[in-house]
Amino acid sequence: MKRSAFAGPYVVWMILSTVAPLLFVVYFALTDRSGAFTLENLAKFVDPIYLGVLWRSLYLAFYCTVICLLIGYPAAYFLASKDFARNQALYVLILLPMWMNFLLRTYAMMSVIEDTGMLNNFLKWLGLQPMEIIGTEGAVLLGMVYNFVPFMVLPIHTALKKMNVRLIEAAEDLGAPPAQVFYRVVLPLSLPGIVTGITMVFMPAVTTFAISRLLGSGNFFLFGDIIERQFLESNDWNFGSALSMVMAVLILISMSLLNRVDPKKEGSGAY
Amino acid sequence: MVEDTRLIELIGVSKEFDGTMALDNVSLYIRKREFITLLGPSGCGKTTLLRILGGFEMPSQGQVLFEGKDLLPIPPYKRRINTVFQKYALFPHLNVYDNVAFGLKLKKLPAAEIGVRVRRLLELVKMTGYEKRDVEQLSGGQQQRVAIARALVNEPEVLLLDEPLGALDLKLRKAMQLELKAMQQQLGITFVYVTHDQEEALTMSDTIVVMKDGHIQQVGDSKRIYDEPQNAFVADFIGESNILDGVMLEDELVSFCGKKFPCVDSGFAPNEAVDVVVRPEDIMIVGEDVGMLTGRVVSLLFKGVHYEMVVEAGGFRWKVHSTAMQPEGSRVGISIVPFNIHIMHKQLEPDAGEDGA
Repeated sequence: MKRSAFAGPYVVWMILSTVAPLLFVVYFALTDRSGAFTLENLAKFVDPIYLGVLWRSLYLAFYCTVICLLIGYPAAYFLASKDFARNQALYVLILLPMWMNFLLRTYAMMSVIEDTGMLNNFLKWLGLQPMEIIGTEGAVLLGMVYNFVPFMVLPIHTALKKMNVRLIEAAEDLGAPPAQVFYRVVLPLSLPGIVTGITMVFMPAVTTFAISRLLGSGNFFLFGDIIERQFLESNDWNFGSALSMVMAVLILISMSLLNRVDPKKEGSGAY
Repeated sequence: MVEDTRLIELIGVSKEFDGTMALDNVSLYIRKREFITLLGPSGCGKTTLLRILGGFEMPSQGQVLFEGKDLLPIPPYKRRINTVFQKYALFPHLNVYDNVAFGLKLKKLPAAEIGVRVRRLLELVKMTGYEKRDVEQLSGGQQQRVAIARALVNEPEVLLLDEPLGALDLKLRKAMQLELKAMQQQLGITFVYVTHDQEEALTMSDTIVVMKDGHIQQVGDSKRIYDEPQNAFVADFIGESNILDGVMLEDELVSFCGKKFPCVDSGFAPNEAVDVVVRPEDIMIVGEDVGMLTGRVVSLLFKGVHYEMVVEAGGFRWKVHSTAMQPEGSRVGISIVPFNIHIMHKQLEPDAGEDGA
C-alpha cells in the first residue's frame, strides 16, 4: 500500500464536507429556484442595505482584530518571557474559556452586561448610573473580543517561545537598548505568529452571527446573520449561497494580502 | 603586542545557579590586546565568566572592573564589548549585509559610512559577494565568519568568543584558528576566547586560563601551561599525560613503580605523597637491558606522525609516543630523563588555584 493511501479517509471526508458543499454554494448562487443560470442573486446583493451590513461586519471584525492584537500581544509576550516560565497558571487561564462552548460563554456575557445584569447591579451598589451596554455595537464587539482573543494569544505565544533567546542577547550585545531589541528583533521574528493570529481572529469575526444576535439584542445584523436568515427564515438558498460566496471571496482576498507579510511562510500553528 | 595595562580585572567573582557554584571566588586580569583563552571541560564555569563580561549574567559576588571602573552596572548595550556567540545567533530575518550592519545602524551612522565599514569587514572575513544572502542558507563556516564580522564591525575594545569553532570540521577549524589569531593581531583587539579544546588554546593564546569546577587551576602562556602544569588536572587536560602516585624521598629524588628516580624538583616535605607526571613523548623506548623500567608493549596504534603505544612496566600502563615502532608483545625498556619527570603536590579536593594570574 502506498503511503499516500493513508490520507484516503481524510480525502473522502474533505470531498464530502468541503469540496461538495463549496460546489453546491457556487451552484445555488448562480441559479434561480428553477435551476436556470442567473446572476440575479449576486445583483441583489449590490443594495445599500446589504452593503451596509457587510461594511458593519468588516469594520467590527477589524476593530475586534486590532483590539485582540493590542491585548493579545503583550499577554503572549509576558507568557513567553522567562520570568513566567515556571508558572503555567496564567496560560491555563487563557486557555480555560476555550474549553467551554462559545454560545455558553456568550450567554454568560449577556447576563453580565444586560440592563439588570451583574455589572449594572454592581454599579448601582456603588451608587453609579447603570450603563446601557447590551444592544449596542460595543456589546457585540466586547463579545467578539472575549471569544476570539485566545486565538490571537496562542500563535503569537508559540512564535515568541520558538525564538532563540541568544538572538535577544546578540541584539543587546550589538548596542540595542530594550525598545530597539523589541522593534528590530522580537517584533519581526514574531510576525508569523501575528499573521496567523490575525487570520484566526479576523475570519471568525467577520462571519460572526450568534454573538451579534445575543448581545446586539437583534438591533442590527451582521453579514453572518443575513446569511443565516436566508436559509432558516426566507428559505432563499440561492441568495444565501450568493452572500456566502461573496464572503468567501472577501476572506480569500484578505488571506492573500496577509500572506504577503509573511513571505517565508513560517506561519506558526495556533497551538 | 600585548600591553602591560590591565584592561579588565575580576576580583573574587562568584556565580551561583540554584545552589551550585558555577564560579567560585575567581580573580583574574586581562591585559590590553591580549588573546586570552578560558579553557576547561564543560561545566567548569568558562562560559559563565564570558557571559558576565558580556553583561548577560550578574555575578552573585565580586567585582569586575573595566579600565579601573565598575563594569557591572553597565548594561550590555552600552559596553564596548562584543560577542561571537556559540552557534552564532545570527538574525534569521536579516540578510548577511543587514546582520553585519546591525550595530552600526543602531549608532545611526550615515548609510554611506555603514556601507564602507560593512564591506571592509566582509572582506576581512572573506565573505565579499555574500551581502544579499539569507544567513540561514550559509554553511557553518560562513555563518561563523558573518558572526565575527557582525561583532568586529563595531570596533569593540574586547571581543568575546564562545566556542566559535565548535561546529566546524577539523580542517576548517585549523584554518580559522590561524585566521582568528591573525585578525586579532592585525586589529589589536583584546580577545577573550572560550574553548574546551586544549590544542586550540595552545595554538592561539597569549595566555591560557585553565578552569575546573568554577575554579582557576592555572594561568600562564601556552608553553608554561604545557611544560609546567601546576597540578595533575592541568597536566592531564593539556595534552596527554602519565600520572602516577609517587613518594618524594628527598630533594631531587622520587620513588614510583618500586624504584628511585632522579628528578629536578625540590622543596617537598620528606616522604610526601606526590603526583608524578610524565608526558608520553618524553618516554624513551630503549633496550630491555638498559631501561630504568622494563615491560611489554600491550598495544600499538599508528597516529600518522607517531606511534601511540601502551607499555606495561613497573605495574603501570604507560602511554608512550614514539616515531619508532615496537611490535605488540615485544619486551622493551623505558627511560626518562630527570628533567621530564614532573612532581606535583597531591590535590586536596576541593582545591583552588585561587592566586589567579
